[in-house]
Amino acid sequence: MSFIADKQTLEDLNLLGKYRPHSIFGIFHQVKTHGGGRLLETMFNSPLTDAEAINKRAGVFQYFQRLRLKFPFSADTIGKVENYVSMGAGSNALATMAVVIQKKLLSAFVRDEQYHLLYEGFLATVEALRRLADFLRQLEGPMDHPYQERIQDLKGFFADRRLTEMLREDKMSLLKVAKYDHLLKHTFRAEMEVILEVIYELDLYISVADVARARGLCYAAAYPKDHNIFRAAELRHPGLDNAVGNPMSLYRESNVVFLTGANMAGKSTFMKSFGIAVYLAHMGFPVAAREMEFSVRDGLYSSINVPDNLNLGYSHFYAEVLRVKTVAEEVSRGRRLIVIFDELFKGTNVKDAYDATLAVTQAFSEYRNCSFIISTHIIEVGEVLRGRAENVQFAYLPTVMEGHLPRYTYRLTAGITNDRHGMMIIENERIVEIILQ
Amino acid sequence: MLFTTDKQTLDDLNIFGKHGGDSVYNIFNRTVTRGGAQLLEEMFRYPLSDEQAINRRSGIIQYFAGAGTSFPFRSMLFDAVEPYLGNTDERTKLSPDEHGIGRKLSHLIGKDVQTAVIYKGVEAIVELLKGMQDFLLATGDGIYSEEKTAITGLLEELPAMGGGRLTHDVVAAYDVLFRFRHRDVVQRLLRHIYQLDVYLSVGKVAAERKFVFPLALRPDKPVVILEGVYHPHVPNAVGNTLRITPDSNVIFLTGANMAGKSTFMKSLGIALFLAHMGFPVPATRMEFSVLDGIYTTINLPDNLGMGASHFYAEVLRVKKMAHELSQSRRFFIVFDELFRGTNVKDAYEATVAITSAFAQKRNSLFVISTHIIEAGDVLKENWENIGFKYLPTRMNGNTPVYTYTLQTGITADRHGMIIINNEGILDILKQGNKSNVQ
Repeated sequence: MSFIADKQTLEDLNLLGKYRPHSIFGIFHQVKTHGGGRLLETMFNSPLTDAEAINKRAGVFQYFQRLRLKFPFSADTIGKVENYVSMGAGSNALATMAVVIQKKLLSAFVRDEQYHLLYEGFLATVEALRRLADFLRQLEGPMDHPYQERIQDLKGFFADRRLTEMLREDKMSLLKVAKYDHLLKHTFRAEMEVILEVIYELDLYISVADVARARGLCYAAAYPKDHNIFRAAELRHPGLDNAVGNPMSLYRESNVVFLTGANMAGKSTFMKSFGIAVYLAHMGFPVAAREMEFSVRDGLYSSINVPDNLNLGYSHFYAEVLRVKTVAEEVSRGRRLIVIFDELFKGTNVKDAYDATLAVTQAFSEYRNCSFIISTHIIEVGEVLRGRAENVQFAYLPTVMEGHLPRYTYRLTAGITNDRHGMMIIENERIVEIILQ
Repeated sequence: MLFTTDKQTLDDLNIFGKHGGDSVYNIFNRTVTRGGAQLLEEMFRYPLSDEQAINRRSGIIQYFAGAGTSFPFRSMLFDAVEPYLGNTDERTKLSPDEHGIGRKLSHLIGKDVQTAVIYKGVEAIVELLKGMQDFLLATGDGIYSEEKTAITGLLEELPAMGGGRLTHDVVAAYDVLFRFRHRDVVQRLLRHIYQLDVYLSVGKVAAERKFVFPLALRPDKPVVILEGVYHPHVPNAVGNTLRITPDSNVIFLTGANMAGKSTFMKSLGIALFLAHMGFPVPATRMEFSVLDGIYTTINLPDNLGMGASHFYAEVLRVKKMAHELSQSRRFFIVFDELFRGTNVKDAYEATVAITSAFAQKRNSLFVISTHIIEAGDVLKENWENIGFKYLPTRMNGNTPVYTYTLQTGITADRHGMIIINNEGILDILKQGNKSNVQ
């Protein structure tokens, strides 16, 4: 079963989308080849749900990050190799040779471009193979490494006498071009495709490792599903520079976080950071934290920017109710989920919001296999919950007043806050005075 | 002075909408000509702020709608005229003295494209001019007489169009007149025709949808009298009656979720917007004093990408209104759920403070909706010029029923928990699989 993260969640966390500003995908999209980009997209679209697979992939990233290798090919070369390999050839050595010679003749007499294309692609491929062979030699160390398994198959290919002979050639005559053309396109057809895949993977691993190094990301340790743990130190938003890191831990005995704080104190950003870390960790990707460990979940649901669908006749409140219902159904199926609710029921009156937040939070908190972060402005709910459910943690993001100006520390603190600075913001903007001028 | 509004308002009221959507513009966009559609858009972009201009325009539309006039020109003519007039290259003039056999022969075989465009264009304009003369004869001396005189004046600047076939010489002579010498006259005539197109098509929409023409009053005192106003895009909408006068220029609107507050506010905004264009409105009666602008805040997006919280977006929006109001102009201002992005205490204090400040602006009209009914009680004590209205909810067993009919007072209707219970969320969670076995 694949990891569940629906459209609302992906949009809340701004995870996907190559062209969306500040998307998480955009942060990691530093690959040089198109194939690498496709691979990255696949990984983003299908996070893993198996702890072993996650740790293995994270291990490969770590391995490349340690080695500090540079991707040895240019995008241009790889483009030519792709073209060349996809050209295809006849199965008969003689026929291939005839085709090559015919192209050469056409090129000599009527300035046909085809031979030129073929020749360039061929040279680029030979060059790429040489570089790959060199590169793989660098990976061979005394110890086993996580990427070994993948390149094991290629050893035989590079040891093949016909290939080593070709890689040693200095000058390529027409006949040799024709001969090796057949060798690459027919005899080693399947191997060539594997070679391209390996190149894409190298591109991805190296570029992600570079991003991780540049941004100071770490790799999360995954545990099997039945553990139900999440622990992170200095968790922050990967898209923000100079973001403040916060610790976060969720266990079976404390699976709900009740988050309060004034406007603009950073509640939404903190919740997003948490969601993004969970998602990236399930991909085996580096996360924005100092260290992190987690047990694998079945999915992630967030409700941060629920749009009111007034065209469909939904009020904002009803849109929220339907969202909570969707999550409730998923949770009640016994799945292990991570659930993020930002300002639950903000689209209704206070009394209703109070009743609803209390009832819903309490009902959710009994699902010890799931973890919840719920933020709200209604601090009274917290006081009641404190008495009723022992598995709820209380945290807030503080505001410090400096004279009349609020300053935000963005540091998570235990407890419930009654910080309110809405009126102060209004006074600072001098709105009433402006109206009455 | 210009009638002002902004993008937020146009989006809230869905005046232009997205391509082909259910916009207000699309209700009226029934013109025959493309020029008419352009003119209509212009009217939507620039509503009027002068009661005489408004009443005149609505008078003309009513006059034609009453007479049942239909657009007197074939729409095909305009397809010929537009590309023809668009070509202002002197070298493409037809030369009248090409009498040779060669021309006749080649004419016989087929005109070249350019000549064909010119021929068609000239023929179309001739037909338009003749049609215009007939139309003027058939139109009485009503409210349209001013335009009628103007059009007659324009027609007189051009030679009278006789009957008979258009020979090559005549076409060449007309071509010079239409495209170069009296180009301006022709274009002014066309603009009159497009205007006529808009008036007639708007009149038709009014008749079909039973819209009513509002009466614009002088802007001395802010007054809006609306009877049976409804949202033009809601099927079987319920009409509501509202009087906003200097004695109650602030309307404080309450009601449960889904009771129809936002829709009601939108229909008010749309009616006022259309009224300032001199257009018919979805209501049974409307009178209004002319205002300087209209601002609504119904679907304010929080700009979280830019780091501004929803609350701060609201604060900035209120500040913008405050700046506009401080210039002592007359506005119609709508706020849906003021300060919903903050905690209750702050929202309460802020709502009271801002509404009180608004209440001292007797020149403008305000409609403010909120969930914080406690604010209403305080405001009621302090200001006598705040009118309290609510949209009720009736409970039919366990299902809420909405009447969508405005009542006077403040309501404490709350049905949020009932909606949650009806969706069965708590039951789902109670009965769910809480152990970890799947």
